[in-house]
Amino acid sequence: MTIFNAVDKFTMMSGDRVKIKDLLSSRLTECGWRDEVRLLCRSILQEKGAISSFTVEQLVTEVTPRARSLVPDAVKKELLIKIRTIFDENEDDDIDPEDA
Amino acid sequence: MPTSAAPVPAVAAQSPTTRKAIANNFRELTKDPKKLDEAANQLYESLLEDAVTGIFIEVHHLRKIGNLSALDGVAEESAHRICDVPNLDIFGVSTAKKAIDCTCPNCDRLVAAARFAPHLEKCMGMGRISSRIASRRLATKEGTSASSNSSYVHSGANAGGTDDEDDVDWSSDKRKKKSTQNSRNNGSKKNNGKTF
Repeated sequence: MTIFNAVDKFTMMSGDRVKIKDLLSSRLTECGWRDEVRLLCRSILQEKGAISSFTVEQLVTEVTPRARSLVPDAVKKELLIKIRTIFDENEDDDIDPEDA
Repeated sequence: MPTSAAPVPAVAAQSPTTRKAIANNFRELTKDPKKLDEAANQLYESLLEDAVTGIFIEVHHLRKIGNLSALDGVAEESAHRICDVPNLDIFGVSTAKKAIDCTCPNCDRLVAAARFAPHLEKCMGMGRISSRIASRRLATKEGTSASSNSSYVHSGANAGGTDDEDDVDWSSDKRKKKSTQNSRNNGSKKNNGKTF
């Protein structure tokens, strides 16, 4: 988790996290992933909504893996490449002020 | 789990050392391409998780408000479908004009429904104009001589034809003049009113 923490903090600090997040959400909206997941949630709710013990947490655990697999490969690849380029850029950028 | 946005300003504002530490951590990480890949994947996963959570919140909100079912909409009933058959209107009713005729209870003539009310008014001598005509007719009947009456009948034959024929024209079976006697009488009534 330390790797992730470092990355997370760093991207937040540089403001790249917001950029990537915006890109991802716009891509997901474009390809209809949002609607698909929303539909999935609704169909599950229609099945199990009547059960009073059905909680939001249960819904989340049920939908999240499926939602993850629903993401188109193209979007995932684009995002990963984008993240990598941002990492590379930051690597170059930050060395200079550090040294100076 | 991705940390929330709240601690970011705190981290950034704390001191240059923490900033430096974060940058250092990151730089160390970038040296190892394997770790970098892992980091990229993790970042992607966390962002995706954020997106899913956003949808959950949205759906949850809609559900609590009661708008979730509204999104589904209501299935269109076949009864309300627009009918697309030739010669039928959108409700599936024939477009052919149905002529509705009414039989006048006073003179037993068939009159088109649209003309029935004016006809009845005239035929039964009711209404503003008709009653005026009727009262004048009563007044004239007392005072008129036989010679003047005959002249009215003659002049009425010319003018009366058009007036009474309205009813006949509008009647759907297009009956022609029922009787000359009838039109003459009607015409004379009308004409009486006009001349006075």
